[in-house]
Amino acid sequence: MALQGILVVELAGLAPGPFCAMVLADFGARVVRVERPGSHYDVSRLGRGKRSLALDLKQPRGAAVLRRLCARSDVLLEPFRSGVMEKLQLGPEILQRDNPRLIYARLTGFGQSGSFSRLAGHDINYLALSGVLSKIGRNGENPYAPLNLLADFAGGGLMCVLGIMMALFERTRSGKGQVIDANMVEGTAYLSSFLWKTQKSSLWEAPRGQNILDGGAPFYTTYRTADGEFMAVGAVEPQFYELLIKGLGELTLLKMQQEAVSCQARQTLLSVKRPSLQPKSWGTVWL
Amino acid sequence: MALQGILVVELAGLAPGPFCAMVLADFGARVVRVERPGSHYDVSRLGRGKRSLALDLKQPRGAAVLRRLCARSDVLLEPFRSGVMEKLQLGPEILQRDNPRLIYARLTGFGQSGSFSRLAGHDINYLALSGVLSKIGRNGENPYAPLNLLADFAGGGLMCVLGIMMALFERTRSGKGQVIDANMVEGTAYLSSFLWKTQKSSLWEAPRGQNILDGGAPFYTTYRTADGEFMAVGAVEPQFYELLIKGLGLKSDELPNQMSMDDWPEMKKKFAAVFAKKTKAEWCQIFDGTDACVTPVLTLEEVVHHDHSKERGSFITNEEQSMSPRPAPLLSNTPAIPSFKRDPFVGEHTEEILDEFGFSREEIDQLKSDKIIESNKVKASL
Repeated sequence: MALQGILVVELAGLAPGPFCAMVLADFGARVVRVERPGSHYDVSRLGRGKRSLALDLKQPRGAAVLRRLCARSDVLLEPFRSGVMEKLQLGPEILQRDNPRLIYARLTGFGQSGSFSRLAGHDINYLALSGVLSKIGRNGENPYAPLNLLADFAGGGLMCVLGIMMALFERTRSGKGQVIDANMVEGTAYLSSFLWKTQKSSLWEAPRGQNILDGGAPFYTTYRTADGEFMAVGAVEPQFYELLIKGLGELTLLKMQQEAVSCQARQTLLSVKRPSLQPKSWGTVWL
Repeated sequence: MALQGILVVELAGLAPGPFCAMVLADFGARVVRVERPGSHYDVSRLGRGKRSLALDLKQPRGAAVLRRLCARSDVLLEPFRSGVMEKLQLGPEILQRDNPRLIYARLTGFGQSGSFSRLAGHDINYLALSGVLSKIGRNGENPYAPLNLLADFAGGGLMCVLGIMMALFERTRSGKGQVIDANMVEGTAYLSSFLWKTQKSSLWEAPRGQNILDGGAPFYTTYRTADGEFMAVGAVEPQFYELLIKGLGLKSDELPNQMSMDDWPEMKKKFAAVFAKKTKAEWCQIFDGTDACVTPVLTLEEVVHHDHSKERGSFITNEEQSMSPRPAPLLSNTPAIPSFKRDPFVGEHTEEILDEFGFSREEIDQLKSDKIIESNKVKASL
């Protein structure tokens, strides 16, 4: 497996860290999850492929145990607010002096610095502070966080796996570990770079919830069926839209596509400069 | 940088592939984006740090050019439906016979196999087929896709970067490349493993939109402020919930129990009425610096000016004065260094790239006159 022989020490926390460590375990790493004595069960439910060690880090001798583990490990993954590990005498300077090859991954909501770095928060807060939440939600409603998927798992856990893999790869050349500041505010923003990059384009010219991708378009949304279930429609390109209309048996609706949503917005999405141009530039893509 | 010296060939497509390649470029890889001649501009807008080669892959001589590029590259990233590359004589068997170290990444919606694998689709379709869309959306409304972030970018582009990094790392041991089937249906499902793992728990015992994490709870949602802006509340733990109540000027003994789900609709109305009395700035004055888990819902414009982002330098500006998020995560020794330059024009680097890859001047001229390639070194305004 890709991560054969890689040793990971994961300090137990909620969603993001456990998911990150589970991915590493899935791809072959040996993951040790360090939990507090007295914890009843792994609340993350993401313990697949891991082994569990119950250890009291707050005791100096407990911290010393962790130090010994890290001296022989490849990756340490810790989810605590900035300063907590340092207080336990387990900060990167100490652990990387013991083991210069150690990759010290710090996965938090707000990051290792900045005015919010010592505050509590959850996915919805990080999503809000990233700017991304402001774009998500129906017309006339408040912004809506899609469960805890975007900040906890995508911008958080998965982005941290990325950082760890970058560091592991780089270490094959330099022989050295690094400190990774993986935080959910920045991770979620970076994941959503497309939003900033297209901010001035017609893709977002209407208010929230009235654009193609955020629920404004009749051809990019979900519909309820007779049995109370749902179908998803994503027919953006004209040739796919035609098939949608055909399938719905409503050929007259074809005319409405010009008025339903800004033509300019669709053109921006598809790089078709004039409505009369056949989108043959996408012929290869949609063969 | 982490990916110094890694050569990536990206075949142009929409969102997921371009994002994947941009991340690789941000972290130091040299990325060549191969676009169709006649393309007006890079619709993905995710061309940062890349160079552009305009090449007609449908012509056998064009496919042959790509074959020569891949013989000397580390990663090929292609976004086409299953079978397209094979038809062009550019499938993995051929390219990896030329170059056994090549990492052949195939990033699609539905994957390389399966009954949907040759169909068209978009983010919302992949999200729907993954099962994840069915969990997202308010009570009494249809499921709602959060833009194209979950399937295109998280389960798609980012998951593909992960696969490529796994393969690059593995190659340092085996010396061999691999074929990666990165598809958005499976990527989004895997990203959301937590949902399956907690499916039987009380986290999801109520219908969609009535649970803690999907908009049911008054302490995990957004509220409108007096100035038409929004605040986000995420005060799950009792000690944080206490601080929320305090900051709202309410008394917990006058309120139902935090976890009394039957009272949530009423609580939401109560909280909404309180939030509506003050502006976003006033709420920030009250809640900033506390553990109440109450934060402003910043707009894309506001976030670049917010203290926290400013202090951290979370946003970067390029030579065109456009701002975008700095690459994440931060690596202490080999940080990503995103390009400061504007995105390339289509075909801007065609000749320079071919020259680097060992094509002679005569070959390049011939390819140009036969319209196999296009060179737009100096571009007039579009």
